[in-house]
Amino acid sequence: MRSLKLAIASNSLAIFLTIVFLLPITAIVAFVVTGPLDDAMANFGLWMHRAFEWSFPEMNTIERFSKIGFAIRSVIIAVGISFMYFGITNWLNMSLARHRERDAVGRQSRIVEAIQPWIFVGPTLVLLLLFLLVPALSTLGLSFQESDGTPSLRNYAFLWDRDALGYLQFRLAMRNSLLWLILVPTVCISFGLLIAVLADSVRWGVVAKTFIFIPLAISFVGAAVIWRNIFAGGGIEPLQTINGVTPSYQIGLMKSLLGHTAEYNEPLYSLKFWGNFFLMWILVWVQTGFAMVIFSAALRGVPEDTIEAATIDGANPFQMFFRIKLPQIYSTVLVVWTTLVILVLKVFDIPYALSANDDDKLLLATMMENARNNWSIGGDNVDNLFAAIAVMLMLTVVPNMIFNGWRIRREQKELGH
Amino acid sequence: MITRTLSHSVLALIVFIWVVPFVALVSTSLRSETEAKTAGFWTAFTPTELGHRFSTHDKGDDTEILTMAGNILARLNNEASGFPVTGDVQSILIKTRIPDPENPEKTKLVRKLVPAGEVMGVRGGDFVFQTNGDFTWTFEQPATPKPKNLDVFINQNPVFGTDAYIEVLFDNKNVPNALISSFIVTIPATIIPITIAAFAAYAFAWMQFPGRDWLFVIVVSLMVVPTQLAFLPILQGFSGIASWATSMNQWLTDCELTDTCQVASKSFASLWITHTAFGLPLAIYLLRNYIVGLPKELLQSARVDGASHLQIFTKIIIPLSVPALASFSIFQFLWVWNDLIVALYIGPNNADDLVFPIRLQKQLGTFKDQLHLLNASAVISMIVPVLVFLSMQRYFIRGLLAGSVKGG
Repeated sequence: MRSLKLAIASNSLAIFLTIVFLLPITAIVAFVVTGPLDDAMANFGLWMHRAFEWSFPEMNTIERFSKIGFAIRSVIIAVGISFMYFGITNWLNMSLARHRERDAVGRQSRIVEAIQPWIFVGPTLVLLLLFLLVPALSTLGLSFQESDGTPSLRNYAFLWDRDALGYLQFRLAMRNSLLWLILVPTVCISFGLLIAVLADSVRWGVVAKTFIFIPLAISFVGAAVIWRNIFAGGGIEPLQTINGVTPSYQIGLMKSLLGHTAEYNEPLYSLKFWGNFFLMWILVWVQTGFAMVIFSAALRGVPEDTIEAATIDGANPFQMFFRIKLPQIYSTVLVVWTTLVILVLKVFDIPYALSANDDDKLLLATMMENARNNWSIGGDNVDNLFAAIAVMLMLTVVPNMIFNGWRIRREQKELGH
Repeated sequence: MITRTLSHSVLALIVFIWVVPFVALVSTSLRSETEAKTAGFWTAFTPTELGHRFSTHDKGDDTEILTMAGNILARLNNEASGFPVTGDVQSILIKTRIPDPENPEKTKLVRKLVPAGEVMGVRGGDFVFQTNGDFTWTFEQPATPKPKNLDVFINQNPVFGTDAYIEVLFDNKNVPNALISSFIVTIPATIIPITIAAFAAYAFAWMQFPGRDWLFVIVVSLMVVPTQLAFLPILQGFSGIASWATSMNQWLTDCELTDTCQVASKSFASLWITHTAFGLPLAIYLLRNYIVGLPKELLQSARVDGASHLQIFTKIIIPLSVPALASFSIFQFLWVWNDLIVALYIGPNNADDLVFPIRLQKQLGTFKDQLHLLNASAVISMIVPVLVFLSMQRYFIRGLLAGSVKGG
């Protein structure tokens, strides 16, 4: 028995060491060896360029094609390495066990079985440890340190010290987060419920749902570009002339509907305080589809007999929805709500794309970015400040995590686990 | 009956609100630069009065004339463009001197709009134009006038073209680079986590090893940790590796001669690994829940037949888990393709390697006066995810439901 444990340990060590050295070296060698492929690709591009007489400069073709060449080989190498890991470890595991216990098949398979689960979960555990768990803890540590490593609470001074860096920004970010937190999930859920109910009652509901759903596939920056066409005015200085003529039209649809003239070209999302609501709307536009899909499925799961009973009792559509259907999908609403709350607390792209340096529109995530890029007076301390704000962001998510955990455990208990 | 009409119209209104921004996006991207920045997208579909500037004749044309005849629209469309101007010529804005009512015997400079058919003085000649664009410019004595630039308002017919797409895709190198970079980032960052997660999910579901259950709980609970918390230490780790690699490079190769020793700390590789790590908890959660639900007898009978775990995994589990694998890969694909913040902190930051969301965010600044280009670039950035999304909608919805209705 003792020798079996020893065999397991030594085999594991051998496999581990092989992987640690073999994989990076293979990756580097593969990249160096396949380097000339980029030139081959560039030559191929050049040949295409001449054959089809493309009109843009040859240099562009060469650059694009060598980049495509790089893309292809790096994708293949990256994916290949990850497949190679599983292939090599399993092969090593088998052959090492076979080599060690040439005669005892039973012992062979016990060694293999003991090591195999760790081969399967190994990469996951290592990656999560190195890229989530340790960094999160180390950020926590950083936030309680000066830049030279001495322990300090100075990074959190913005919480209480009026003169500290970020005092005002933190308050604005908290105010805005609270607004986002209340409004975005509420509006998304209301719209989602409304659309789910309406779409089930009309024949073209599927088409309608697809349209509401598509924004989910789009990046937040893309959504920002899209809504810029609606919320932003002029886009050019009012006095600047185009083709010699001062523009006489308002470009933004919403601004035009509000009666803003072309001279008044401040985007709606830059308005003091009220601008926040236009930024929120963009997130609502993206996320309503998510709420709608979930509610649509949940509503379909409402037992038919309760609906039939209510119909027989003469319930009108509103009673049907608020008294019969909504109470039965209440837990789904809660799930969507928590998901949206976590999303809103972490939202970054939309305010970053449209109002990056405007303190009035700050959220915690954009405040982190601002701290790193713009608060140069913080000097060396900037990274630690960044960490402190990240910890504040984490803290805002914690109540939700606890609630979520409590809910899952209760569900499990109800199911009898 | 009333409720039916009401639900039709309310739903139609909501869909309308949701679709209008897309109409704005696509129509703006298909217009000319002048149109895109002088008139809102909703004017693109009807004749709209727009300003243009044309010159009466080409420079260096010195023939002596009494009367010059031409066509404003022909002059405007002289330069080859994808957006031919057609429509009714309404008026010309001209700077002219008129007698000053306050100061007799003096004149003052005014800008005034001259409608079609009315005579105006241009460089000492009489200039008259018609609604169809024909103009005549007559002088009392033979003259060789210099070309005159005039601002003309034309009630312009709708015209759409793909010039903006051609410009961003071929004349400008940023968008093609962003497109390729996004593919470089997205494909491995989708395939690698799904490979790793599938093995781990199988182990968590059907293999026996010490600490299995609490390891699974830890993995899944990492799903809610805000990724922002991890950026800084990850970045420091990668710069450590990069500086080490740089010195290795110096020692092993003759890079000092070409000054190429520096290994970048923010690279595609760092982005792949980081995206993989961030995507793993959800992937393992979804896949493990799915694999646990597969019939246990399958596993047992395969074990009895002497199949190894690796064989069971590749021959039985993977083919059966295709729906779950598909739904996670869409999630991860969309998430990585659309991601801005991870790429901003950890991805490569030289201009040629920026991924699409960062490029688009920069273009919000650089193209703020070239809205047709901005919108065209946005459309290009959306084509891939929207196509993936629409073609695999079923799996996406399945994943959404598994991820949130069951909990988590």
